[in-house]
Amino acid sequence: MAARLASRLLGMLAVMAFVVTLTFVIVRVVPGDPAAAMLGNEATAEQIAALRARLGLDRPLLVQFAAFLADLARGDLGQSIFLDRPVLVAIGERAELTLALTGLAIALAALIGIPLGILAAVGQGRGRAQVLPTLAMVAASLPSFWIGLTLIKYLAVDLRWFPVSGYGPPEAGFLERLHYLILPATALAIPNSALILRFTRLSMLEVLQDDYIRTAHAKGLPSRTVVLRHALCNALTPIITVLGLTVATLIGGAIVTETVFGLPGIGNLVTSAVVRRDYPVIQGALLVISGVYVVLNILIDVIYMLVDPRIRA
Amino acid sequence: MRKTGLQGLLAAAVIQAIVSTAPATAQQAAPTSVINVATIGEPPTLDPATTTSDVVSIITQHVFETLYTFTARWEVAPLLAAAMPTLSEDGKLYTIPLRTGVKFHNGKTMSADDVVASLKRWMEVSARGKLAAPVVESVTASGDTVAIRLRQPFAPLLPLLAMNNGAAVIVPFEIATAGSPIKEFIGTGPYRLIEHRPDQYIRLGRFDGYVSPKGTPDGYAGERKALVDELRFAPVPNANTRVSGMLSGQFQFADSLPSETISQFENSREVKPLVAGPSWPFVIINNTKSKLTGNPLVRQAMLAALGAEDLLTAAFGNPKFFDVDGSIYSAGTIYHDSTTPGYNKPDPKKAAELLKRAGYKGETLRLITSQQFDFMYKMAVVAKQQLEDAGFKVELLVMDWASVVRQREDPNAWESFTSYNTFVPEPSLLTFVNPAYAGWWDTPEKAAALDAFNREMDPAKRAELWKVVQRLLYEQASTLIVGQFRNLAAISAKLDGYQPMPWSAFWNVSIK
Amino acid sequence: MTGPPASRLALALVVRRVAGRPLLLIAAVVLVAIVAIALCAPLLDLPSPTRLAISRRLRPPSAEHLFGTDEFGRDVLSRTIYGARTSLLVGLLVVAAATVAGTAIGLLAGCIRRLDALLMRFTDALMAFPDILLAIALMASLGPSLFNVVIALTIVYTPRVARIVRGATLVLRELPFVEAAQSFGASPLRIAVKHLLPNVLAPILVQATFLFAYTVLTEAALSFLGAGVPPTTPTWGNMIAAAQQYMHQAGWLILAPGLAIVVTAVSLQLLGDGLRDLLDPRMRQHF
Repeated sequence: MAARLASRLLGMLAVMAFVVTLTFVIVRVVPGDPAAAMLGNEATAEQIAALRARLGLDRPLLVQFAAFLADLARGDLGQSIFLDRPVLVAIGERAELTLALTGLAIALAALIGIPLGILAAVGQGRGRAQVLPTLAMVAASLPSFWIGLTLIKYLAVDLRWFPVSGYGPPEAGFLERLHYLILPATALAIPNSALILRFTRLSMLEVLQDDYIRTAHAKGLPSRTVVLRHALCNALTPIITVLGLTVATLIGGAIVTETVFGLPGIGNLVTSAVVRRDYPVIQGALLVISGVYVVLNILIDVIYMLVDPRIRA
Repeated sequence: MRKTGLQGLLAAAVIQAIVSTAPATAQQAAPTSVINVATIGEPPTLDPATTTSDVVSIITQHVFETLYTFTARWEVAPLLAAAMPTLSEDGKLYTIPLRTGVKFHNGKTMSADDVVASLKRWMEVSARGKLAAPVVESVTASGDTVAIRLRQPFAPLLPLLAMNNGAAVIVPFEIATAGSPIKEFIGTGPYRLIEHRPDQYIRLGRFDGYVSPKGTPDGYAGERKALVDELRFAPVPNANTRVSGMLSGQFQFADSLPSETISQFENSREVKPLVAGPSWPFVIINNTKSKLTGNPLVRQAMLAALGAEDLLTAAFGNPKFFDVDGSIYSAGTIYHDSTTPGYNKPDPKKAAELLKRAGYKGETLRLITSQQFDFMYKMAVVAKQQLEDAGFKVELLVMDWASVVRQREDPNAWESFTSYNTFVPEPSLLTFVNPAYAGWWDTPEKAAALDAFNREMDPAKRAELWKVVQRLLYEQASTLIVGQFRNLAAISAKLDGYQPMPWSAFWNVSIK
Repeated sequence: MTGPPASRLALALVVRRVAGRPLLLIAAVVLVAIVAIALCAPLLDLPSPTRLAISRRLRPPSAEHLFGTDEFGRDVLSRTIYGARTSLLVGLLVVAAATVAGTAIGLLAGCIRRLDALLMRFTDALMAFPDILLAIALMASLGPSLFNVVIALTIVYTPRVARIVRGATLVLRELPFVEAAQSFGASPLRIAVKHLLPNVLAPILVQATFLFAYTVLTEAALSFLGAGVPPTTPTWGNMIAAAQQYMHQAGWLILAPGLAIVVTAVSLQLLGDGLRDLLDPRMRQHF
């Protein structure tokens, strides 16, 4: 297992090397520049050129890449042009929100998806077996911003149960912040719960066909016991995998959701950085997000190894 | 045992979220009165000298003040100055008396040295200040007055000093000389900066040591009182979210709302719509250096092809928000001039005739616009069709505003772009009459007309001279005026004392 | 499977299995209908999807305009039908390009051990960026155009196909018939094309169906974020993005394009699910 882990870590380093290069290449090809974005409508060419020079954007690309790598080696993601603070600080300030949002969303998604998935699997062959997965498919096919906007219109504007946007006033406590997160987390959870439902159903179906489950049934154990104790435990491994994958799609979904709900999280940071042409922030955020994703995948691998003895062997 | 891995991870995340919010809760007592304002986005800086961005002006005018400001009728009035300046006979020496005892947010009292340092900084870094810089010979302090000596008479000087964007704000000497943009936001305004969390909020708190100018409030002039504990400006870039936030009561003020949402506010008892004047000119700026639009006949053909009424209706929907008026300045201002030959007389045949005379052979007219200003994009879509109906071949380039600003600097990259000019009390501040601005309108006739206008000090004569500039604008069709438009803002019915001005100010505003 | 009787038997089998899955059937019929309507759009006497009529803007649904008119007075139904042409074209091009590129990379990685690690780390790196994020960043670099949306989404989705093809190839490589071909001295390329490719077609086809659905949804999200096909081109994503502005005063604008997206994505996924069951080799073994 140690050898396996070591080779995984080595692979991870190779992946990150690609990620770093890709990030720089993608970001620097972007036309338009932060100087133009910052100086506003009435800027003249001369003012823009001066700001470009100050920001070091007039240097050759390779020189900029070398500087980028050197900074990175020192753990420095650079300075945000627009926000006037280190990129790591800017990301750190918003990590809490995105973490809370995705955490809440995955909890909601699992809470909806897993029980319904089990229900759909157990009821296989009956009418509702077709209904639940199909409903899930519809949920997964709704554009997430549409869900968000609809929730805002009815639950926030008409009924006023929830705030429309933002993360609460500065003096807001934990519960108030939670109140601000419920709608966005729901919008984010709906399509993902559909994914989890589908996967739970499939894994449960596979397990339920196994011989020992039939044996358990034959022994006359109540079917609730069979399903929950025996089948679910064995279906857990693939479910953990899909939860891990969901985290990745959640981060992607958070970009759209944070935009719809005006939440100052990491997703919002990236989309506004694109508009502002704030290269260091786009780079830094891309690196941090993909880094988290890669590490998360390794963690899932490890959990997988711990849970599933067959892989450990 | 087996399940602990993932659960532990989630639990850690939740605990992290609780722990990191908890201390913030403990240390901040809620202020009793707060006005929440939704702004169109995060300000690029909080230094109002270095940018002409509206959102920066709206926020920072509460913190920083200028020597002069404007009344509701756009007359210059003193703010940090004690009175209007005394002007020497030859019109070249301005002596400005300062108010005494004015306190900065750091407790220091404002002196003439602070003013001189601030004005020098302004002439170096501000787009407005740079217009004045070549004319200014010296700025000197003596006692409680500041003297500005000019090389030649320059009528726009006082309006430039009074503008609140690219603003000649007065900051302490140490800050003015420490480099721009400034890092410490110490001004003399009725509110001071408490906290800035980018993309989240900017908190301004009442400045207890504020020394107000005297007089009945009139526009930006007169007495200023901080009547609430805190002003909070939250960036909400999505216009619909601003509308929803107003309707749900989360915000007490928001501007730049989609004009067609006005019915939502008209039906509400808690929120009132505001159609804020004065109007701004909405324009299509033509590239006089391009091979195609460098030809005045082609530009004339464009003027003949465009029907302003459809353009404006598509852009704003409700006629409350626009005037089909081709004057550069809106009705009611002294620079309004209804002589607009060819405006809003769509005549595809005449346009085609002009194109034929210009020797047009189907070259592509590249029209740049941006969806970041939704009304521009909608106008451009209709303009494209009207131009095509007249025989033009049009390519609509839709890009984000940062790219527009970059692209328009390249004379070979475009023929026309959509734009607007925020209301400027001084015509020489209009971007599209500046020969250095994209479009590069710089004919000898126009240069002479503008120079005569800038040298004239008498307001009535200036209005006459401005008519010459407008006539040339139409003859040479360098910039096509689409019309005049106004912004939709919304205000909570709970707010009292708000005076509608183009850059919304919240001093003298209280909560019922 | 050799000889006509066997294939006729297989066909009968397929027909029987399809008949046993009403959802698959419905999905297929709906998709064929959508494509047919999109293709025949010019023949259906529709109001012009692009001609502006400012005096008719924002009309609610009526007999004349079943789904109302938009902010430029254009018929929403007509735009949705013409929008289908672009949206489906984008989907089709992305799926085709990503499938070809992904299959090539996957086969290469699966067949040539030395390339495997390098190619897979590269696809891992691309997959480490969330779909939307990578697409936005790419669109910002490439600039807004229909063609660039296709390129960006192809880059986003190629690694997924590559992984699946590689996985399937690795399994197949160990099978006796491939080893036999190798022992006869067949070149790796010949093995890949002659023996491996036909056998990975089924998972590729299933994956392609799902990719199509994701592409339609991602195109919509990109348009919403202002990073998609230029807004002047009618696509479902652009129509929804424009409609969200009028959420409060013209809620009907979102109906037609929204329904089109959801129905298409659901049908594609149902089709994918059905195909997977039909083509699943394990299930075939039972017969």
